[in-house]
Amino acid sequence: MSESLSKVPNGMRYYFGAEARLRRYVEDTAMAVFDGWSYEEIITPSVDYHALFEFGMGHREAERAFRFTDTDGKMLALRPDVTSSVARAAATLLARRARPLRLCYTGLVFRQQPPTHAQWRRESEQLGCEQIGSAQGSADIEMLVIAVEVLKRLGLNDRFSITLNDVNIFNGVAERLALDPLARDRMRQLIDIRDMAELRRFLAPHDREAQAGAFARLVERPGKSELLEEARRLITNTRSTEALDRLERLWSVVETLALADQFEIDLGDLSGLDYYTGLTFKIYVEGIGTRAGGGGRYDHLTANFGRSEPAIGFVLDLDALTDALSRSSSFAPAQESERATERLSGDDHGALFVRALEHRANGARVIVDDRGTE
Amino acid sequence: MSELTIALAKGRLQTATLEHLERVGIRVAEGALASRRLWVEDREGRYRFIFVKPVDVPVYVEHGIADCGVAGRDVLLESEADLLQPLDLQIGRCRIVVASHKSELLSNGFGILRVATKYPRITAEYFGSRGIPVEIIELAGSVELAPVLGLSDCIVDLVETGRTLDENGLRVSEVIFESTARLVVNRASFQLKAAAVGQLIKALELCAKEEA
Repeated sequence: MSESLSKVPNGMRYYFGAEARLRRYVEDTAMAVFDGWSYEEIITPSVDYHALFEFGMGHREAERAFRFTDTDGKMLALRPDVTSSVARAAATLLARRARPLRLCYTGLVFRQQPPTHAQWRRESEQLGCEQIGSAQGSADIEMLVIAVEVLKRLGLNDRFSITLNDVNIFNGVAERLALDPLARDRMRQLIDIRDMAELRRFLAPHDREAQAGAFARLVERPGKSELLEEARRLITNTRSTEALDRLERLWSVVETLALADQFEIDLGDLSGLDYYTGLTFKIYVEGIGTRAGGGGRYDHLTANFGRSEPAIGFVLDLDALTDALSRSSSFAPAQESERATERLSGDDHGALFVRALEHRANGARVIVDDRGTE
Repeated sequence: MSELTIALAKGRLQTATLEHLERVGIRVAEGALASRRLWVEDREGRYRFIFVKPVDVPVYVEHGIADCGVAGRDVLLESEADLLQPLDLQIGRCRIVVASHKSELLSNGFGILRVATKYPRITAEYFGSRGIPVEIIELAGSVELAPVLGLSDCIVDLVETGRTLDENGLRVSEVIFESTARLVVNRASFQLKAAAVGQLIKALELCAKEEA
């Protein structure tokens, strides 16, 4: 075969054997948990208009989509994200359904990646949940609890950490500083890479009330409830304070559920999609250098489709989870199942398959051995 | 097992980084560096250091093979790796410059500038943002030779003392940015090994302040 036909494009790959079984196991585990919380599966189109993702994810993220043109000249994309499409369905096809809508999915997403990037896959699988139509704090908690249950059922009990933030804390401070969009973006970027020295220098000229300098201290590193208390003392604007109230209520539930060891407050977590409007969270699992998932509240996304309503969702990155599990020595389910297999052979193909069908009817696994036949 | 793996750049930055660590009490065993081993532990066994090419530091850290690393800003900007950069260590100070032996850069008469460099991304970004069309000639080393022999009109390169430029008859025509070494941290390690990473940042921070 010629070289060009043998070669697999960068960032694309096969999965088979133990790896494929592990992927199916993780998928089944997550989907069973989603079902257990009454989330209904939705399957979205693999190809959609690029404009959908531009609205949904923001221009910068959507630029990474694989794009091509439809017969009428409109720009299409292989979906780089599932949430945008779910939000559209909620506002259109499912507009008359009772709220809240609880939807879940497992789906491949496609993103262009520089080949040197650590998340080198250009095709990856997302497991996700969306709850649309509820602004309640209980929806926020439900998302976190579902994510935790999936991780625990996968056997990652003490090996994960989830960070919580609310985008309004940053937005409130940026508003108060009256930053123009460019400066605001710069501030966000400096916080995102935790360049504290540069952040302080950048904020110094804006800092009339010393609120900005205090904010630099808060975003430096993650913490627990004491970080919220400190934030309370240092931040006074209404928008941020309301967000802190919500986070505090959420944190007290986290403590009630005895999950405080697995959770952190991280006010410096500002990376990710532009569509988040409230709570955001990121999921980290030991053994892998990249995030294993994340989510948050996106109350304005569905407005793009003519029906504004509150919504929250999260995704788990199947590839990250399987990486973490396959590196863990204690993990067994990837082994080929021990189920007995009936090995059948014979020259009389009619009789051979009659026997095979009998075994199958009894639920046995068969393998038709063609050695010794003919 | 050591708490943190730290990737250090071999060459220009290596000595400065190790001295810097020593000032905050992190010492590698004597003799360990003389050998050809590519990783060593500190005396207390808390840190494991791996020695890699400067451009590979962000790669090891982004993949989480190393939790932290020390790399020049030049390397970080060129790699575009998704890393946390909590600390400017104020060591390994140098400049990324445009240098040529002509006084007027756009004088080849074709309106396109040929630039030889080890930094194709930084070069494209710098000239691109100024609307100057460039043809980038990517080289792995001895970049100063390119304009002398006519391979390019100018170079974009790292300059410490300026001696190599002088000796090849080149002059700095524009400074693109100043570069110093940064502590970089993997995003997952920052969360999952928060205590150890926090301690390292605090210790290095005090030292960096003195340096500045």
